Amino acid sequence: MRVISKLDRFRFFSFLAFVLLIACASSKSTYIDPNMDFGAVKNVAVMPFVSLARDPIVAERVRDVFINRLMATGAVYVVPVGEAARGVARGEVQNPSAPSPEEAVKLGGIIKVQAVITGTVREYGEVRSGTASSNIISISLQMIETQTGKVVWTDSSTRGGISIWDRLFGGGGKPMNKVTEKAVNDLIYALLK
Amino acid sequence: MILFTHFLNKVTFLLILGLLFFPSLANSKEIKQENPVVNEERIRIAVFPVENLSGTVAPLKEIRQMFIEKLWAKGVDVLDEETLEKFMAKYRIRYTGGVTAEIAKGFKQDINVSGVLITSLELYSDANPPKISLISRLVSTGENPSILWMDGVGLAGDDSRGLFDLGLIEDPEVLLKKAVKIMFHSMGRYLAKRTDGRGDYSARKRYRPKISYRSASFDPNRKYTVAIAPFFNYGLRKYAGDILVLHFAKELKRFDHFDLIEMGVVRQAFLEMRIILDQGVSLSDADSIAGLLNADLILGGDVTDYEDYQGVWGVPRVSFSAQLIEKKSREVVWSSNSYNEGDEGVLFFDFGRVNTASAMVSQMARLIGRMILQDGRRVERVKGSSGKVK
Repeated sequence: MRVISKLDRFRFFSFLAFVLLIACASSKSTYIDPNMDFGAVKNVAVMPFVSLARDPIVAERVRDVFINRLMATGAVYVVPVGEAARGVARGEVQNPSAPSPEEAVKLGGIIKVQAVITGTVREYGEVRSGTASSNIISISLQMIETQTGKVVWTDSSTRGGISIWDRLFGGGGKPMNKVTEKAVNDLIYALLK
Repeated sequence: MILFTHFLNKVTFLLILGLLFFPSLANSKEIKQENPVVNEERIRIAVFPVENLSGTVAPLKEIRQMFIEKLWAKGVDVLDEETLEKFMAKYRIRYTGGVTAEIAKGFKQDINVSGVLITSLELYSDANPPKISLISRLVSTGENPSILWMDGVGLAGDDSRGLFDLGLIEDPEVLLKKAVKIMFHSMGRYLAKRTDGRGDYSARKRYRPKISYRSASFDPNRKYTVAIAPFFNYGLRKYAGDILVLHFAKELKRFDHFDLIEMGVVRQAFLEMRIILDQGVSLSDADSIAGLLNADLILGGDVTDYEDYQGVWGVPRVSFSAQLIEKKSREVVWSSNSYNEGDEGVLFFDFGRVNTASAMVSQMARLIGRMILQDGRRVERVKGSSGKVK
């Protein structure tokens, strides 16, 4: 009787561990070019982001946070936004938010960067569900190498949203700026790890 | 028992008396030192028409008149209206937010004026409670115009309501007078040769930039000449970029390590080089401007939010990025992202609440100045200077 009890307990904990493992799993949204030497990337340009949210300024908000956070790591130097704009003008880039491989190569030559980062803000602002509300952000980024014009890294991050806590106690979630910083941190961690 | 009651009555009476007088004591320091004596010989100052950055109709002439009257009261010789008008017509001056090198030279040579007082009205709201923000500076004339003194004030009628709203200011004129008085208290100190406003670096920690980067190659212990480029304005507030330039100039002037180039001179350089800012300052723009003005650093950035509010309900909101480009290394040596709201850190009774974006951005810019120089360490004073960064 005692042996059966031990077996049951073992089964129970095995099942619990399995469930927890499944809960912790996340769908991988990152692409990294296996042949790319990211250590060689020292200077980058961050192009204007595309905003799919209602407010077009959010693209600039997120870009500002991303540039400063990336520079603050000390691992990569980001050329001034004005310099990136000069490169776009001189290189006659049609769509600075999504340069073609040829345009990326040209841009790299003009503003002397090893990579160009483009991004899309897919969601930004308040979400509601019933009486609960919270702030959410969803960003996706890609890095284009300026030597070949190839996309060498892509990733996305979604932060915020309505949690169980918000549903139970309300509160409106975390401030938008904090949520933005978290999402940007996720992406920078993924880029530099 | 009788004695106890008597004592309690006395304490209660004194407590009520103290609370009644508390709001009137709020600005006692300013009131006491309203008219410092001007030590110098009579200097001649031209008062430019007030630059309106508020985006609303405001009593600009009245503000200017108040400034002129205060200057007269301090014993300053103010250039008469007719001469100023003739001079402005001769030099075709339409922009009154700054002084170019040519105009400064003309002021000295043609009409022997020692300084030009430039005032910018940042905010004017007469909705109850009223709000006003002013930034003034005194610019020297002659070959090399420089900022002699600069200060600003951001006030709301309900900044210090006090008990039973005794400190509430509902009349915009009263608030305007109070703002001008504060400005002249600061200017009076400069004219009396006590201080030019340097040395006060205090600001609340909550106004620190949220993200910041400082290059390892930046030497915080040397002196830099700084040109401030207009901030690119993404926000809805008109002139937010120009307002931020003024705030940065005002705050960086506090530090001995920065020599600021007069904004009118920088503006003229941008016009002469035919530079149109696209999102920000490029390296080639920075090269040209720094070369022309002999500047070591170019400060630029962008503003995404600069919001004040009218009436009682609302909070001011400011969000911007700042970048310093060094001429020598052609590199960004400082980059930061700041955002704050007026009710941050307020836990009860609106204690610590800030009612104007001006008052908030002053502290945000001041802390950036501190962090550029400090980086968590104490910074030694520059040789021959009067102040140090604590």
